[in-house]
Amino acid sequence: MTRLPAPWGHRINRDKPVSFRFEGTKFTGFEGDVIASSLAANDQWMLSRSFKYHRPRGLMSMAGSEADTLVQLPSDPNVQADRHQISEGLLVTAQNVNGSLANDRDAFMDKLGRFMPVGFYYRTFMGPTRNAWLKFWEPLIRKKAGLGVLDTNATHQNYEKANLFCDLLVVGGGAAGLTAAIEAAEAGADVILAEMEPEIGGALTYRRDSSDLLHDLRNRATACPNLRIMTDTLVNGWYEDNWLPLIRGNKLFKTRAVEVILATGAIEQPATFRNNDLPGIMLGSAAQRLMRHYAVKPGNRAVVLAANPDGYRVALDLLDAGVELATVVDPRAGGSGGDLANALHTKGVKTLTGDITEAQGKKHLKSVTADGTRIPCDLLVMSVGSVPMWQLPCQAGAKLSYDQDHARFNLTLPDAPLHIAGSVNGLSSHDAVTTDAIRSAHQVLAQLDLPHRDIAGVEDTEAVLANFEPTITAHPKGKDFIDRDEDIQVKDLQNATREGYRELELIKRFTTVGMGPSQGRHSALAAARIVAKATDRSIAETGVTTARPPFAPETLGVLSGHHHPAERRTALHQEHLRLGADMRPVGAWWRPYFYGDKTDARCLIDEEVRAVRENAGVLDVSTLGGLEVRGPDAGEFLNRIYTMAYKKQPVGRCRYCLMTNEMGTVIDDGVALRLADDLYYVTATTGAVARVYADMLFWNAQWQLDVDVLNVTSAFSGFNITGPNARQVVEALNSNIDFSHEGFAYLEGCEGRVAGVPVRAMRIGFTGELSYELHCPSSHALTLWQAIMEAGKSVSLRPYGLEASRILRLEKGHILIGQDTDALTSPDELGFDWAVSKSKPFFIGKRAIEMRRNKGLPRKLAGLSFDAPRDSQDVPQESCLVLRDNVPVGHVTSSLYSPTLKKHIALAYVHGDDSDTGTQVTLKCRNGKRVNAPVEGHAFFDPDNKRQEV
Amino acid sequence: MKILTCPMNGPRNINEFQCFGPVKNDPDPATTSDADWARHLFRVDNSRGVITEWWRHVPSNYFFLAERNATTNEVIRTFTPQDAEARP
Amino acid sequence: MPLRLLKYAFSRDYPVTGDIPATPDLKSSYDVVIIGGGGHGLACAHYLSKYHGITNVAVLEKGYLAGGNTARNTTTIRSNYITKEGIAFYKEGVQLYEEMSQELDFNVMFSQRGQLTLAHTEATLRSFHLRAEMGKHAGTNIEVVDAQTVKDLSPHLNMDEGGPLEIMGGLWHADGGTARHDAVAWGYAAQAARRGVEIHQRTEVEGFETDQGRITKVRTNRGDIAAGQVMIAVGGMNYDMAMRAGVELPIRCYPLQAMVTQPLKPWLHTLVSSVSLHTYLVQSSRGEIVIGGGSDPYQLCSTRSTLDMKEHLSEGATHLFPFLQGVRLLRQWAGITDMTPDYSPIMGASPLKNLWLDCGWGTWGFKATPVAGKYMAQTIANGRVAPILEPFTMERFARFELLNEMGATAASH
Ligand SMILES: Cc1cc2nc3c(=O)[nH]c(=O)nc-3n(C[C@H](O)[C@H](O)[C@H](O)COP(=O)(O)OP(=O)(O)OC[C@H]3O[C@@H](n4cnc5c(N)ncnc54)[C@H](O)[C@@H]3O)c2cc1C
Repeated sequence: MTRLPAPWGHRINRDKPVSFRFEGTKFTGFEGDVIASSLAANDQWMLSRSFKYHRPRGLMSMAGSEADTLVQLPSDPNVQADRHQISEGLLVTAQNVNGSLANDRDAFMDKLGRFMPVGFYYRTFMGPTRNAWLKFWEPLIRKKAGLGVLDTNATHQNYEKANLFCDLLVVGGGAAGLTAAIEAAEAGADVILAEMEPEIGGALTYRRDSSDLLHDLRNRATACPNLRIMTDTLVNGWYEDNWLPLIRGNKLFKTRAVEVILATGAIEQPATFRNNDLPGIMLGSAAQRLMRHYAVKPGNRAVVLAANPDGYRVALDLLDAGVELATVVDPRAGGSGGDLANALHTKGVKTLTGDITEAQGKKHLKSVTADGTRIPCDLLVMSVGSVPMWQLPCQAGAKLSYDQDHARFNLTLPDAPLHIAGSVNGLSSHDAVTTDAIRSAHQVLAQLDLPHRDIAGVEDTEAVLANFEPTITAHPKGKDFIDRDEDIQVKDLQNATREGYRELELIKRFTTVGMGPSQGRHSALAAARIVAKATDRSIAETGVTTARPPFAPETLGVLSGHHHPAERRTALHQEHLRLGADMRPVGAWWRPYFYGDKTDARCLIDEEVRAVRENAGVLDVSTLGGLEVRGPDAGEFLNRIYTMAYKKQPVGRCRYCLMTNEMGTVIDDGVALRLADDLYYVTATTGAVARVYADMLFWNAQWQLDVDVLNVTSAFSGFNITGPNARQVVEALNSNIDFSHEGFAYLEGCEGRVAGVPVRAMRIGFTGELSYELHCPSSHALTLWQAIMEAGKSVSLRPYGLEASRILRLEKGHILIGQDTDALTSPDELGFDWAVSKSKPFFIGKRAIEMRRNKGLPRKLAGLSFDAPRDSQDVPQESCLVLRDNVPVGHVTSSLYSPTLKKHIALAYVHGDDSDTGTQVTLKCRNGKRVNAPVEGHAFFDPDNKRQEV
Repeated sequence: MKILTCPMNGPRNINEFQCFGPVKNDPDPATTSDADWARHLFRVDNSRGVITEWWRHVPSNYFFLAERNATTNEVIRTFTPQDAEARP
Repeated sequence: MPLRLLKYAFSRDYPVTGDIPATPDLKSSYDVVIIGGGGHGLACAHYLSKYHGITNVAVLEKGYLAGGNTARNTTTIRSNYITKEGIAFYKEGVQLYEEMSQELDFNVMFSQRGQLTLAHTEATLRSFHLRAEMGKHAGTNIEVVDAQTVKDLSPHLNMDEGGPLEIMGGLWHADGGTARHDAVAWGYAAQAARRGVEIHQRTEVEGFETDQGRITKVRTNRGDIAAGQVMIAVGGMNYDMAMRAGVELPIRCYPLQAMVTQPLKPWLHTLVSSVSLHTYLVQSSRGEIVIGGGSDPYQLCSTRSTLDMKEHLSEGATHLFPFLQGVRLLRQWAGITDMTPDYSPIMGASPLKNLWLDCGWGTWGFKATPVAGKYMAQTIANGRVAPILEPFTMERFARFELLNEMGATAASH
């Protein structure tokens, strides 16, 4: 393994060898090497096989973009070999090979190109039978699709997120970015500079004659206290109001910048000729990166294709590195490298005016044909032009236009706190780049109200030479790749236009050009040129395709970060666990389902039901929504929000609350306790309270009533003590409330103290039994609960869970909003006309309820019951259909077995004409069996409501 | 992430806010026909230009109005409901 | 090697099929003008020309062919809806997809690998049962499956046992699948063009002239044209386009966002979606994982995408498949969806006699491309709304006869 002597290779530490394996073979590189550089140093140039034709591929840009350099790590597919640093023992394999990289069994695909013209898959794989695609062709193709292999056992990694704020974010740490950042920071701005490479300097780190400038900028940057430099940090997108994701390793920094300077540089473009994808053919900047960053000699005998001054600089670099230079080929008519060319001539290098039409070689470059002559070489370096790094500016609203005279793309910025500087702005020479950077910094300083100067735009004589417009003609034998990721050749684009796909976006979709990992970085310009020519339009008319985020591939882990779904626990969570509760999530809350051993669930739930029906039980209702409505207009406010009337509700009384939306659909229910003339305590369902609260405030923002609403859901906990012996329990509590029959009637409520705890007490419940609900501040919840349990000892008070509660409520036919109602349920469909005031002039939904009533009821919620063994499948369970002439007219919303009544009970929507008691309706069980049942009322147990009023 | 300026809390990330949709005028139930009432229920201003919407700053439960361009997403101004003359 | 490909191998020149003719000059009048060259407009053109003999048809597309939501959608095709009207309609849509490649002689790669929707709550499971009961009754392939079967169908899922998002079961819809969206549009375009339908790209409709309840002229950036019948199918622009004809639709526009990862070797066989996480995933035949789909929380007519949505979708995806953490995202995008109050489309007649609507397709209309095309064509040809479309009339709102598909649309499109 030979490397160039220092100062070549400043990124590697020659004292620290690092060994790793590629395709099973051991390789040794140095600390600081990336996979591709250390392999190249060991003469391993081939890195992968191409997507479609399985052609040998190696590095081309060394900038981490093309699919050719994607390799597989054991738990990490599609890793960029030209950016990922090696580490001891790293296991690397090639992707998209069938067999081994060296002997890919699918390499024959390369010979089948003629059978697979562009879009061929749209024209075949359809027969012989109708499902041939699904059963035969697709599985075959799916096997060949994709690149890397996912490790479905990959271990969990840690990802973090943080926020950053700054006056100015400079994206890119090259000459332009550094200069701008320093200039702004020295003037007092708070600046962050983000650079994706491990070191700052950008092209200065590998370009010829750049080290002095870089040295100088480094020193100035280090001396700036208010300049934060983040290397290895990818700015991966631009979002509204200068919100930019900065990614460093596994961490996402969401950054808000007042101003942004994009100094993202330019992307060097490859040339188009037959076999331009062979390993050994690379961009000028790639050769320079190999040499200056990693001390890797890119080849032994080189041809340089130079259409701009940079090409000549690369040629000089190659000579310095001891590479034999066969020739420099300059495709520009009359083009010459000027002084740089003279320097080459004095070193004995010939330049040739002409073009390269073909390269030869099997797995590596062997020769090129330039102007009809074959020149043996193992390295071809291309410097033929570049495009501005358009992705971030375009995401931020910049427009890309084509300057025909200079054969280059230009960016025009939107009117926004956004600037570009340096080669992204079409500049090339050090002087021009520096001036441009200072100009942009002072624009920013002006916006930030910091000391600034006006600096004029710059002309760059060198930039004018940087690009030229090549004539791209399809090679008769093809394999002249425009998009290496997708194996797209010149003729593919031409043929696509002949098929009628003439718009660039259609061509992209039909041929997949630009859809691969490099997202058009190396194909967009050439594709635009080919399409413009093929459709007889200018490049300006052809346009370019949209740039969408992200800028470079980013992991889902870094985007999702440390994510946990929200969970809420009541104040008694630990207490329930102590009592052996089976806790389950209900919405965001964890609630007890029942208490005791899971294996006895049914038996325990039955016992809990029986305890309530025959003795006393207690339920934690802390998740219930609680709202305080306070103010002189509180009654009027509730009158408008809910369907019943509240203004005349006496203090100390509870009243049912039914909420409808403007469409007259039932959206919530609860109970309002009037605590004072100007204060109501209102409950709302657990799942809806947040919305009810927001809606209340929303309406009042319009009504402007003198009322305030407070969401006290988490502030209060609540317990419902229910059952024939409930009064014994509450009377045994140490309290100042008279819980007696005479002192505390059904639907009354009051404030008082229980066990030293301030409570709100209400005689309400969901079970149909004598019930007391005690609400208290959550900080006292445990004290109150323990006092209740203590007071309940004499009657063996039993805590019960959600399952029993559901049975108890269904036995009473109480509806559950969201389960027994849907997005169209009106109060009339529930038979709730009693809850809808006829005298109020207005409440939300009133008009719609009336309009719907006038149209007639399409369906109505009815009670149904079925005598069948408990485990029978011939009973309509929840969601089973109600049929009329075999047409679904409704469905079962709730269905359970009642241990109290020893039969199955259900609520179901039946056709509006079938809603009279006794009408027979037909239901379809889940097993398909039809059963009939007569319509009943909702309450199956104690229909006269005698028990709750005792 | 977009910034929205709450008249009470100042500029905040837009994910602190909840949109309650374009302002609707309240027709008088007494004088409005069924057809017009139905239109009132289901129709919302969906024009591509500037729309005036209700917004809520969720942590502070503050409701206010915003004029926003529904195509460019530019917020022209935010103001309080009390700003009566500002309402369209 | 399929025989079809031999012609490419053995002809000297590339044998051009000529799928889409170059845009011709506009004529002064057409029997039918279809506004919008998306999947819906093109499908209608195909059915008009092939089954109703109506070929004096112009499809007007303001940009490039099918560059609207047809080009942006995540291509879920399914019929597991809730209402009987919805199920009947989408079921035929799925059937037409099964035959589409043959119908169009263009491989649309309909890949019926089944859709698995996950329930993390009892309420979701209950709604799945309703969808299953409705679906089975209408004869679709659908069933509620338990957690074990979910695991068998998608072995890599994180079941989150005992956690807040424990998977309690799923809705398995074996008929569900995906298709290559562009191919659907191109296939219809190519067939219609072959029968004489004119496809005009870069042709934007700017307004209408009306007289006595009829559209008399369609105004475009390339000149005015007279039309016997006019259909609107302009995706995210439907509200505006109808307004220009004086027709007010209850539509609000929201961007819908989706994203895609780098290609991976196949590992995810079925479509997987989660109601609670508002996330769905499908692996394309290129190997990319397509992840959808989140609507923005406020009205907007812009196709910009956001970081928040990407974070949100990534959270959902990595929750369901934690090993996706290391997988790299390649692209995100958005389309403008035209949402109706009941998450169902608006099809059929308008207050103008010769104006027909194929609108309100929101986040769910790709699957309906063939069936909407078929019955809109029938409607236009007969001058009478096809019975299967009647429930989708724009009049249904005023009658409170909404077709609520919210519950069947929230999780996957
Ligand atoms: C991210 C995303 C994911 C989706 N996922 C799914 C999915 O998984 N399954 C599913 O079934 N659906 C999905 N959809 C919805 C689906 O994409 C659409 O409902 C469907 O494509 C609509 O087709 P269309 O032909 O009606 O509209 P479009 O495809 O939008 O076509 C309308 C055309 O009209 C043109 N137009 C507009 N204005 C004018 C004018 N003035 N003059 C002339 N032409 C004009 C437009 O340029 C456009 O090409 C998704 C949508 C999005 C955005």
